[in-house]
Amino acid sequence: MVGISRRTLLSATLATPMIARTARAQGAVLRIGAPLPLTGGLAPEGLKQKHGYEIWADTVNKQGGIKVGNGMAKVELIYADYESNTARAVQATERMISQDKVSAVLGAYGSGAVKASSSVTERYKVPMLAPNASAKEVYDQGYKFLFGTEASNDALTVPLAKFMQAHLPSLKTMVILSRNDLFPLALGRNMEAAAKQAGIDVASFQSYAVGAMDHASALTEMAAAKPQWVFVTGYTNDLILVRRQMAELKFSAPIITMLTGPSYKEFSDALGPLAEGITAVSWWEASVPYHGIPPFPTAREYNDAYIARYGTAPDYGEASSTACCIALQAAAEKAGSLDPLALRDALASLDVMSFYGRLKFGPSGQIVVQALPLFQLQGGKRVILAPEDIRQGELKILS
Amino acid sequence: MTARLFRGLAWAATLGATAALFFLGDAYALRIGMTLAMFIALASGWNIIGGMAGYPSFATAGFFGLGAYAGALTQLRGVPMPLAWIVAAGVAAIVALAVGWIVLRLRGHYFAIASLAVMMVLRELATNWTMLTGGGMGLNLPVLQLGIIAQARLFFAAQAGLAIIAVIISALVASSGLGFALRCIRQNETAAGMLGLDARRAKSIAFAISAALAGAAGAIYASAISYIDPTDVFDLLNTVQPIIMAMLGGVGTVAGPVIGAALFVVLEQSIWTNFLSVHAALLGALVVALALFLPQGMLGQLHRRKVKP
Amino acid sequence: MIGQVLTNGLLLGGLYACVAAGFSLVWGVLNVINLLHGTLVVLGGYLAWMAWAFLGLHPLLALPFVALVVGLFGAGLQAGVLNRAVGAPVLVTLVVTFGLDLIVGNGLLLGFGADYRTIRPSLTLGTAQIAGIYVPLDRAAAASAALAMTGGLYLMLRRSWLVRAIVAVRMDRDAARLMGVMVSRAYIVTFALSAALAGAAGDLLGLVFPISPLQSGDYLAISFTVCVLGGLGSVVGAAAGGLLLGLVESIAGLLLGPQNASLASFVLLIALLAFRPDGLFGRKGYA
Repeated sequence: MVGISRRTLLSATLATPMIARTARAQGAVLRIGAPLPLTGGLAPEGLKQKHGYEIWADTVNKQGGIKVGNGMAKVELIYADYESNTARAVQATERMISQDKVSAVLGAYGSGAVKASSSVTERYKVPMLAPNASAKEVYDQGYKFLFGTEASNDALTVPLAKFMQAHLPSLKTMVILSRNDLFPLALGRNMEAAAKQAGIDVASFQSYAVGAMDHASALTEMAAAKPQWVFVTGYTNDLILVRRQMAELKFSAPIITMLTGPSYKEFSDALGPLAEGITAVSWWEASVPYHGIPPFPTAREYNDAYIARYGTAPDYGEASSTACCIALQAAAEKAGSLDPLALRDALASLDVMSFYGRLKFGPSGQIVVQALPLFQLQGGKRVILAPEDIRQGELKILS
Repeated sequence: MTARLFRGLAWAATLGATAALFFLGDAYALRIGMTLAMFIALASGWNIIGGMAGYPSFATAGFFGLGAYAGALTQLRGVPMPLAWIVAAGVAAIVALAVGWIVLRLRGHYFAIASLAVMMVLRELATNWTMLTGGGMGLNLPVLQLGIIAQARLFFAAQAGLAIIAVIISALVASSGLGFALRCIRQNETAAGMLGLDARRAKSIAFAISAALAGAAGAIYASAISYIDPTDVFDLLNTVQPIIMAMLGGVGTVAGPVIGAALFVVLEQSIWTNFLSVHAALLGALVVALALFLPQGMLGQLHRRKVKP
Repeated sequence: MIGQVLTNGLLLGGLYACVAAGFSLVWGVLNVINLLHGTLVVLGGYLAWMAWAFLGLHPLLALPFVALVVGLFGAGLQAGVLNRAVGAPVLVTLVVTFGLDLIVGNGLLLGFGADYRTIRPSLTLGTAQIAGIYVPLDRAAAASAALAMTGGLYLMLRRSWLVRAIVAVRMDRDAARLMGVMVSRAYIVTFALSAALAGAAGDLLGLVFPISPLQSGDYLAISFTVCVLGGLGSVVGAAAGGLLLGLVESIAGLLLGPQNASLASFVLLIALLAFRPDGLFGRKGYA
């Protein structure tokens, strides 16, 4: 009795997957699954991903869809909230493929969840495009259906160390403060390695707990090392707090780098004058010069369309999410098919320009490295310092 | 006699449904079945210490996470997967015995908080012992080279097997001297002591059994998902949900956690599938309503009806 | 350096005390572990942010309004839902407050989004340097106000007739009922006071920290730890426990590295529970 009712209820649940849909099916439809961390610890990041997908889908659908073969296909995004939980991300991915029959999946947030859920897409032979997974370890599993639009962390940290060394000859000692969490910790470790490679002494490497409310102890200790370079990783709220406490404790250094907060408008809004002079690297900036395929040929046009829609400027998180969609669109147009296998082959051999830069995936599936923008907050604006072809200003040394 | 027959039939039907799911279910149904079986194991395990002995443990997620890490770390060092699961259960049981020596002196709210703190300590250790656990970066487990259905069946079978073991252990405990001692402790621990029962020993064993089941569930979870990090496996929800399930079905009974887990997982899954932005609030409303209107659980409700003619 | 670390710890501890005091009160009087408490703190933070963003009010000025609104919200919750659960077994009250937390937390997420909000008042006090120690004055103001609120609760519990009834209920529910105390009304007042204090704490935290729904779990953990450190249901204990927790975290952060600060406080919590379950300052009884 118990068993029977359980079974019937279970199948009743499975039979009705009604999920929020952005478009109604009419004719050919490119269905894309998008598991998002809308609740839980990654919720701010999940919202950025959602916006990045949404603006592309709506723009494309308004223009009649994407060109596939001789006809046009509308795009339909199928969302699920995976609650910032890896198991849920994997489950949502499998549900989208097996129940909703999607042609492709947009990756979860972060390297861990992407790595776990990519084992599902690999088995079902459905391509996955990950906008926010940068760790190399995600892509070295020999998977054929996984593609990522963020270059590895080394692409951020190695040029950064070289740049700072070239522009601050007195640079000998640095300190690193890192959030003990997937992406920020990996980034901190990468920076440590890059610094050692460049011969910069890392006097102190500290990590703080997720949700830490006080950085005074760590900062007090770091101040004692009198570093020329302070490098902090974390989410925007952490970085705001660290910067405020540095000011409270009168701790400063010639260079302060924070990743990835300065890319976000919230960061400079919250800090005001304290944000001045902070440096950062990013996977994308609105001022990058690339010219590519529609619906957003240039970074400037993407930026404007985004502001018109959401009222705030996009950062690399949204841009990378949109870039995944554009790569998928280009692949579908190239393949002339919505079949997952055809999409996968088209993605593997894709080589197009976009507002995000060159969309070409290496043998591992991770995007090929291009020079990433290094910038400094000057007068409340992000001023690009490198690479040379898009340079807008000079590095200002803090006192 | 008829009640007994009915109960036997119900268990047989449950087992039949499990077998049918194993042979006929698609990969997604098997995944939900695996989740359900995992929660049956967790809720039944919690019920031994939390229900039978009346010690409201909040450490379930702690032992689940401990088992996940123990299983992952042994597996990464070349130990075969099933053996790693057993090791994980053993590690969780041993830690529970050691920790229980301290926290099982406390009762009621105090015990609840101390057990919650145990979970927090384990999570902080997993987060900070970066050399061993990878810290916030998490751990990657070997991915099995199996087909979709084969893999889904394997892990469903593993969690379902664990759930069956958990139910059998619950039944054995309930009908043994240990179960009697635990019920005495729940009624009145001081009096139980005066009757000559070794309350401390009974509590420790119950706590260790409960931890071993949670540890094994965590280790199987880790193998199935192939990636773990501290926030995933030391999730407070893994503590709270089994408690709600046991309450839903009937605290302290053998069948209660099974019924409660089945009901809760089905409700939770359908809410999650159908409501994108308000699923947490709906689940919350459901939980509040169930706790207020069904405090004795489904089985309690049935029994109460039986008493009234 | 140690002077600096102690100062940091005390400034943080003052805020911790205010976060935990209301939690302690509800636990002591209603015998309910309120898992919703952290979310009420966050709600206070959002109200303070709204007062700043739309009315230009400094959080210190908005404090009474925020406390009042969150207090009324708490009164509504107690009258509507929680009064049914008081006196039920521990597990029932835990599950009910857990469910309420899911609902309110989801509401905040829908209402305010997941992004962090920051209050940046035009008037900032800067940093003072006293005997070589940097004292961030905004933090100091927030911590002092937090301690003052906690002290105010203590005085209220001692002086006010209405609240005497609460204490009477806490001592002996049935006797109080016989003496003519409206028990359910006393519960509503208690929970409202607790919520008001949580809201006030959120308002003051907003002066120093970014506000986000993700923070509620951390505030709840702080409340637990402070209560156990200071002793259950005692406002003085909550104040002392809060300051102590701030000190422990700061010192442990210095000695063991910042990532181990919370580990140290949880270990301390277990040890205290095992050997001094009434807390360091535990006194059964009054306020």
